[in-house]
Amino acid sequence: MQATTTTKDYKQQLAKLQPLIALFVLCAIISLLSDKFLTVTNVWNVMRQISVNICISTGMTLVVLMAGIDLSVGSILALGGAITAGLLKNGVEFSSFNLYMGFTILGACLAGILVGSVLGWFNGWTITRFKVPPFVATLAMLTIARGLTMLWTKGFPITGLERNFSYLGTGWFLGIPLPVWISGVVVIAAILVTNKTKIGRYIYAIGGNENAARLSGININRVKIAVYTIAGALAAVGGLIVTSRLDAAQPNAGVGYELDSIAAVVIGGTSLSGGRGTILGTVLGAVIIGVLNNGLVLLNVSPFWQQVVKGLVILAAVIIDKANNKGE
Amino acid sequence: MKHSFAIKPFVACLFVLMLLLCSCGNHAGSGKHKKIAVIVSTLNNPWFVVLAQTAAAQAQALGYETKIFDSQNNTSVEADNFENAISAGYNAILFNPTDADGSVSNVQEAKSAGIPVFCMDREVNSVDAATSQILSDSYSGCVAIGKYFVEKMNKRGKYVEILGLVGDNNTWNRSKGFHSVVDFFPGLTMVAQQSADFDRNKAMEVMESILQAHPDINGVFCGNDAMASGAYQALVAAGKANDVKVFGFDGAQDVIESIQAKKILATGMQFPKVIAKTAAMYADEYFKGKRDFPKKMPVEVELVTQENVNDYTGYGKKE
Repeated sequence: MQATTTTKDYKQQLAKLQPLIALFVLCAIISLLSDKFLTVTNVWNVMRQISVNICISTGMTLVVLMAGIDLSVGSILALGGAITAGLLKNGVEFSSFNLYMGFTILGACLAGILVGSVLGWFNGWTITRFKVPPFVATLAMLTIARGLTMLWTKGFPITGLERNFSYLGTGWFLGIPLPVWISGVVVIAAILVTNKTKIGRYIYAIGGNENAARLSGININRVKIAVYTIAGALAAVGGLIVTSRLDAAQPNAGVGYELDSIAAVVIGGTSLSGGRGTILGTVLGAVIIGVLNNGLVLLNVSPFWQQVVKGLVILAAVIIDKANNKGE
Repeated sequence: MKHSFAIKPFVACLFVLMLLLCSCGNHAGSGKHKKIAVIVSTLNNPWFVVLAQTAAAQAQALGYETKIFDSQNNTSVEADNFENAISAGYNAILFNPTDADGSVSNVQEAKSAGIPVFCMDREVNSVDAATSQILSDSYSGCVAIGKYFVEKMNKRGKYVEILGLVGDNNTWNRSKGFHSVVDFFPGLTMVAQQSADFDRNKAMEVMESILQAHPDINGVFCGNDAMASGAYQALVAAGKANDVKVFGFDGAQDVIESIQAKKILATGMQFPKVIAKTAAMYADEYFKGKRDFPKKMPVEVELVTQENVNDYTGYGKKE
């Protein structure tokens, strides 16, 4: 008895370390092949690039822990960024009231995040109120939010934003790039929520067994709506970073980001059937994808091969994860 | 009594149906109210938005009823659009194909229904399916950019090429045109060739990584203007905007402004407005009886540089 429990414990510990080991192996291989990989500037470069995916994937992890999925994050990212950029550049005009509203940077950013939250809330509402499967509800939102972005931008990029706004994506604070600060704060907050709060325990409980969670008195619908709202808000935060870094909001920004985000969550060891996984695992997953993207370009690998390699890495991560969790 | 209850709605329906049929018949019968459909590969890219909107506006100005159909870069959505346009009684189709081979059958279907199709910008691989094809000559345009690139780089230095979607014909037409000139100069070395899917953000990230491996590059050629803007943004962040020459392709509004501001060196101006207007005019002439259209009508791509940029505006020449 004793022996089996310890091996199981040991195996679980190992499973948690897996993404970390994979990351080390990946870094070792790339740094052997390119002396430019492990330099300070390149490390910051990779961190800055993955900060957007980390924001989105943190929200996605919370959703997936409840055995849900959110396919709309890429479109919400585009809309959040576009709303902020549009308000910064043009403000809002109510011609019938002869009223013009200009926006400060903070006001425009908050408006972008607010719009993201509302769309996220709408996801949660359709999923809980009408029992629409999350896959379908967020798939619908994927096209709705993209369409709204097209309407808002009329299909053209919004460029030439206020100079100070670019600080958000390109600035430094205490020797660390600002996007890294933002994603760091998001990650720490999410870790605290999942580990230390009631709602965090509810999220795991819902993903583990929804009926049991309902019977134990958890207001499942409220938790779900809250989590989808957070996911929408975090996607919009990602949109702010992208827009600020590019000094432009593109109507087709974030196409396919949901896949990168789901990949980060899965590589990080979170189960798509819910109940099992960590925020930290997802961060490692996002770092692995970021390092892979960066390394393949540093080594000038042909673009055809890059897609194959990325797919194989995701597949390998999931297969190893499955093998380790056979017992459960 | 029972009978009359069942029959009344039935008769009413029949009556309404008859009315509908009559009005439809009238509509198709009157020669003056001809309708033109604009079927465009995607509205997810400003270049195609300009193409579609100009085509629709021009057709409207010529007195036709128009509607824009978005194929969402999907050949099967495009097939649905064709079927809908044909059954809704459109008399001509101004068409921007999603795929050179995949779109042929759609054009053929319209042709067999007696509806002329005028292709815009991209071609379909068939000699006789379309009534006429008005095409943007990307290959020659990129040859011109290649020549200017060699001149501005003084025939020596390291450069980077950022490709569009690797599965897209246009990506390789542009790349081949560029290399058909640049590859003759041994002093010019391409240190990296990477794809950024025609996307501004991806181009920025790819450029950031390339700059880590090759901080000493002198030039970058991008397969479209969105990627040129993204690459330029990466150069600004790395403090190298003055050391590296950026070349784009398309003639987008923001890149024309960047060339005016001496940030980007040059781009290839395609003329979506000219292409769209020509297609609408051809449709008009077709209705008036003309049949001998050129099968292929290439629209030249013009080189826009910091010297001549004041003659241009986004997506065309200043009028």
